[in-house]
Amino acid sequence: MSLKRITKELNDLGRDPPTSCSAGPVGDDLYHWQASIMGPPDSPYAGGVFFLSIHFPTDYPFKPPKISFTTKIYHPNINANGNICLDILKDQWSPALTISKVLLSICSLLTDANPDDPLVPEIAHIYKTDRSKYEATAKEWTKKYAV
Amino acid sequence: MSRKTTVEEQISNVTDPRDFVKTVIPELQDTDTLLRCHICKDFLKTPVLTPCGHTFCSLCIREYLNREQKCPLCLAELRESMLRSEFLVNEIAASYTHVRAKLLEFLSLEREREAQSAGNSSCMVIEDGHQRNSPNQNGEAGKAGDGDDDDDEIQIIATRENRLSKRSGDALVFTGHKKMRKESPGTGISSLLAKSKSPVPQQPKLADCPICGKAFPLDVLQRTHLDECLTTESFHKSENISSSPVGPKPEFNSPPKQSSTRNSIETPVSTHFNRYSESTSNNSVTRLAKLNFSSTSLQQLKQKLSSLKLPVTGSRQQMINRYSHYEMLWNSNYIDSIDPVDESILRRRLASWEASHNASDGQQKPGGISKFLTKNPMQDFKTDRFDRKGWARAHQRAFRRLRKEAKASLKRSKPVRNIENTENSQTETSSHINHSTTIEQEMVPSNQLGSRNGHITASSQSSSGA
Repeated sequence: MSLKRITKELNDLGRDPPTSCSAGPVGDDLYHWQASIMGPPDSPYAGGVFFLSIHFPTDYPFKPPKISFTTKIYHPNINANGNICLDILKDQWSPALTISKVLLSICSLLTDANPDDPLVPEIAHIYKTDRSKYEATAKEWTKKYAV
Repeated sequence: MSRKTTVEEQISNVTDPRDFVKTVIPELQDTDTLLRCHICKDFLKTPVLTPCGHTFCSLCIREYLNREQKCPLCLAELRESMLRSEFLVNEIAASYTHVRAKLLEFLSLEREREAQSAGNSSCMVIEDGHQRNSPNQNGEAGKAGDGDDDDDEIQIIATRENRLSKRSGDALVFTGHKKMRKESPGTGISSLLAKSKSPVPQQPKLADCPICGKAFPLDVLQRTHLDECLTTESFHKSENISSSPVGPKPEFNSPPKQSSTRNSIETPVSTHFNRYSESTSNNSVTRLAKLNFSSTSLQQLKQKLSSLKLPVTGSRQQMINRYSHYEMLWNSNYIDSIDPVDESILRRRLASWEASHNASDGQQKPGGISKFLTKNPMQDFKTDRFDRKGWARAHQRAFRRLRKEAKASLKRSKPVRNIENTENSQTETSSHINHSTTIEQEMVPSNQLGSRNGHITASSQSSSGA
């Protein structure tokens, strides 16, 4: 079941790739993919290319895929290990979702961070109190790690 | 490499609603999507309806409800007891999947034909307008137009016949039309009427025998054949008669071939219809209850399994999994399915599920490099011990490809856009491309996204050349 569904999604991505994202398996293991996201132009991550690693559990799509950033990124909802705090990757996961939709959600998380449910409280604090400082640091990190 | 080809094979076996985009009825992709389950993304198998109005495969939704008690689409609260089987959707999906391949083939062929005939559109204009030397004649007709008028006419007919040789019926129509036009130019309707009348003179000659289906001259049929047929044929074939009127009618002139094809098309439809109209909710077999495993002793669990003729081997957890999965298979089969299978088949399905499930539990996947990738390095993936640089180096190539893909998709969505930083990165990647065209070329066969990568590498090479 899981393999069939993953194959389907791969075929789907090939035919109709989502805007500014791409994804595909690593080598011959269909349960392990990598993805890339272009930093959204209206965000401090513009110009950067961020890589992610995707792991499908064997009982996918009943369990959410494990997704994390491999590129360092300065974001209130993404920590130093690349873990992402996104509800649809945890308790709000639904088997009707697809990798394509999840990647688009991550894209919109980059544009609109959610400082009220932070993974890195320090960044969230700066984001709330000194927005320009947050944007400057995020731009700097993007230049340093993602260009 | 051999495994890679199996991946490609698997992808080529995938059916997708967008298959219909390339046909004459692209709207069918909507129908194709609607008949799919939102969980497995495949065509609905034994569909069930939720109180919130959503439909899923019975097994898919039951498996999900074992984990979360909500609808995957609207997140409304949902329990297994609320599910109701949808026999009609089951038969619609089944009859659709039955004809899908044929439909797709036919519709894409039709599209090709349309494209072919579009190439002749200038010729069509000439015919429709009944104008011989119109300004938009194509080359052939133009050349011939210099000569005799009759020659011109013949030339056009000849080219039409050649090009539309596949559509032999249409070619005939056109030639017929042409000939009529020679006699009386400008009477389109009358010529069409004459054409439709043309087979009429043959009509009273032959008629189908309603019993044996063979075509006979009408008077022979009425005088002698019918009696012969009725006496020689036994009456158990009278079902065939009931569908068609007994009396031989002149419009029942269809040749035997046609009637037989009509029958062969009707049979599968009627089986789906019959199955639906005869379906009743199955009450003979009772629902298999869920067990509260925390309060069930090992002894009770074993008893329960053996009463269902299931093996009692393995650990407690394995037995629990076995029971849970069997309960799902059982209820899906006896409660939701329109056509329940035997218990022994269910047990076989359980065994094959267990075999695959335990294999994937014990070890991720066989294979050298994937084991290396998935096992050890990935254990530390979420901690600081994870070797990020090593990882990046190991997958440099894949990352580069992904970066290019993402950029290409960005370009596609916003054709020209200059952002300060992207210029730098673009020049950087274009130098990459110059360096790595050889790498690129060896990468192409190994990629798994087939044609898409082909496109992208082609475009990036052309951009580097420019």
